[in-house]
Amino acid sequence: MSTETGSGTETSTTAPSSSINLESVRAIAKKDFQDSVRSWLFWGLSSFFFMLLVAIAGGLAYFGENIAQAGATTEFLVILVSYATLLVLPLIALVLGWQSIAGERESGSIKILLSLPHSRKDVLLGKLIGRSAVLSLSLTVGFALAGVIVAAMLGSFDVVDYVGLLAMSILYGIAYTSIAVSLSSLTRSTTIAGAAMFGVFVLFYIVWNAIIQAIQTLIGWGYLSPETYTLEVNGESFEAERLPDWAFFIDSIDPGNAYSNALSIVTGATETELGVALEEAMFDGSVPFYLQDWFSFIILLFWIVAPIAIALYRFDRVDL
Amino acid sequence: MPAITVDNLTKSYGQELALQDLSFEVQEGEVFGFLGPNGAGKSTTINAILDFIRPTSGQVEVLGFDAQAHSREIRARTGVLPEGVETYNRLTARQHLEFAIESKGTHEDPEALLERVGLADAIDKKAGGFSKGMSQRLMLAMALVGEPDLLILDEPSTGLDPNGAREMRDLVREENERGATVFFSSHIMEQVEAVCDRVGILRNGEMVAIDTVGGLRDSVSSGTSLHIAVDHIDDDALQAVRSLPDVDNATVEGDTQPTLVVAVDGSKTAVLGELEDRGIEVEDFSTEEASLDDVFRSYTTDTEAEVQAP
Repeated sequence: MSTETGSGTETSTTAPSSSINLESVRAIAKKDFQDSVRSWLFWGLSSFFFMLLVAIAGGLAYFGENIAQAGATTEFLVILVSYATLLVLPLIALVLGWQSIAGERESGSIKILLSLPHSRKDVLLGKLIGRSAVLSLSLTVGFALAGVIVAAMLGSFDVVDYVGLLAMSILYGIAYTSIAVSLSSLTRSTTIAGAAMFGVFVLFYIVWNAIIQAIQTLIGWGYLSPETYTLEVNGESFEAERLPDWAFFIDSIDPGNAYSNALSIVTGATETELGVALEEAMFDGSVPFYLQDWFSFIILLFWIVAPIAIALYRFDRVDL
Repeated sequence: MPAITVDNLTKSYGQELALQDLSFEVQEGEVFGFLGPNGAGKSTTINAILDFIRPTSGQVEVLGFDAQAHSREIRARTGVLPEGVETYNRLTARQHLEFAIESKGTHEDPEALLERVGLADAIDKKAGGFSKGMSQRLMLAMALVGEPDLLILDEPSTGLDPNGAREMRDLVREENERGATVFFSSHIMEQVEAVCDRVGILRNGEMVAIDTVGGLRDSVSSGTSLHIAVDHIDDDALQAVRSLPDVDNATVEGDTQPTLVVAVDGSKTAVLGELEDRGIEVEDFSTEEASLDDVFRSYTTDTEAEVQAP
């Protein structure tokens, strides 16, 4: 596990000083939030989310007469907004988080934090909460301000869908913030941290899709065997092929897919519309639990908990 | 109980040895000057004391606690002025102090603390616009939060003008009188000389001298030099002065108005008496103590010579 055994770090005694103190976490989160909120970033983000919502709602109101008649306008708003946030939230979270720890190590200001009676774990958690608060609050402010205008433009307005979209976007944003803060704690160089952020983006937007493509190609070439299932259309049965369960699972681990899946539960938008449908028929009616929609919450939570857990373990053991 | 005990501390970064078997103690209630040229290992030692880095081997104890296992308890009772650190640009001086006060769980007044370091009029200004000296004052105020038992000041005079450096020394004295132990690192001798009870000199990761200011002076051969202007001098008299028990060396400078330069450890009157006994008239005399700067140089300057000679 440890990549720094060469530096001779001793890890035998890690009792009280590596504990978590909630007062410390709160103090650091507050300071970090104050520091970020003073910059143009917070208000820039809030107005960005505001404009995104208003622009998409305006487009729907102008072009979407049929949708309006079907009474599904908020649903479509969710779908269109999620296409944008799917890409934009990770970018924002990574940009917000990449310097969170590495930047303080590079400038030395982490010594200000750690000269005070805080543990390194307090610092990591405080940073994660502070940065998550910036993203969550700017999302909330943007959604709240846009809410009235969106409702007026769309005519019909489903509050549950709207709040569901906000809630899932916050969860998705925090997952990427956790990834960003954690990666930032693994290096002293902001340049390396920046490269790591870029790597994460490439991983989930290019590599992840390529993996699925590769599996399909391997199946096509006969290196991997597909699952077969029976499809009934108009009383006639067909043999059909699909990817194996584990391939679907790999696909569903991507935080973006988990976000879309979770949205299909909490909002009126359907999986097909969000592009993440799994046909029940493909699994003879019994979809494995880890491919069911509710599991996407677990995956989102995993992406919040796992990176920071690794960082908490590692960051206690390095020289600053 | 010593405030700081460093015991056989070794720290290596890969092949590079930053500290080698360093051992010393800082007594409770004293002002300890930690001196050494840049790169001698002062910051590495302080980083180990504060658990910013982990020793390769050896042990550090602070205020009776193990520096690694009980770092939080130590830092709760310690005020630190770190070196070469940027403050938080977008936070005001007040917010910096509020953060430190909140972190230490005390109820002090940010304004009173800033008053002590002479920064009260910039209390609601953002630290991003501060000069280096102002940042240094701000961090010093943060170090004073919570009336710490131990103050660790790493190169505290960085960025301060002579006036600021003097105010800083006054603060060190005030804190020491309150009962705080002060551990004070510097690469400039004269700042340490004025306030420190004891001084340790670090070179290449090893402690080469540790003593009181007076003791260090004595340890360098030319403790005090006596400059005596005389009407004339002869070889016999010079030999007689040289053979006095407290005299290490004596030389003559100048021809028309000869001046005797005598290095003495003890009684100066013995030298003057010897000259008068021999009928030499003393026209004027002055004493010059070896400055600690000379002491410092004598301990640290042959470093480069050593480095150059393979």
